[in-house]
Amino acid sequence: MENKNPLSPHLQIYTWHISSLLSITHRITGVLNVIGLLFVTVWLIFLGLGENLFTSFSIFLNSFLGKFILLGFTWSISFHLLSGLRHLIWDFGYGYDLKISKITGTIVVLLSLLLTIFIYYLGVN
Amino acid sequence: MKNSATKKWILQRVTGIIIAPIVVWFFVKLNSLRVLGYSENVAFFSDKLFLILTAILFFGGFFHLKMGIAEIFEDYISDEKVKNVANTLVLISSIIVPLIAISLLLKL
Repeated sequence: MENKNPLSPHLQIYTWHISSLLSITHRITGVLNVIGLLFVTVWLIFLGLGENLFTSFSIFLNSFLGKFILLGFTWSISFHLLSGLRHLIWDFGYGYDLKISKITGTIVVLLSLLLTIFIYYLGVN
Repeated sequence: MKNSATKKWILQRVTGIIIAPIVVWFFVKLNSLRVLGYSENVAFFSDKLFLILTAILFFGGFFHLKMGIAEIFEDYISDEKVKNVANTLVLISSIIVPLIAISLLLKL
């Protein structure tokens, strides 16, 4: 049977607002989080391969790039979690007002940065 | 009676709520394990409680992903055959990757 569902307009067609920016970032971070889980799977593979190979992986993890990747995934899960919470609040019928939506969007961005710092320091200390 | 779209919508929210606290805990631990050695990493992932939580995170996370990415495919892929292949590949990956991760943990 032919599918007559319309496709979403491509991203270039939109005038950017914080709501649309957060919506697309929510999807992008969702995909990034999966790459993050694949990264953890690689971590486990190196752990299973023994101490010598894991030490090489550990050196990479503690390099600038390794720290950047882990911190990036930490931000990605923080953002996706908080943005998901915003979606859940919408699901209950609250926060649709344009002004409120802009405020909650800004709060999500700021809190995602704070949560990333919190998770990082809680882990390291 | 709920239709399949409503069921998917509810399941996506439920899996999200279940894995949210686990993912925060897990990333705190990962940031901690990054600076620790091989034996500490093995000790952490060998713990039965951590193993169960990690299994929930992997299976729940990939199930959550499968439903979320199906929405993206629905929005941007018009060809039904391509969409079905893409969804099948995601489904297979969302089963295989967690199984690989958990089997690796069980061998530690």
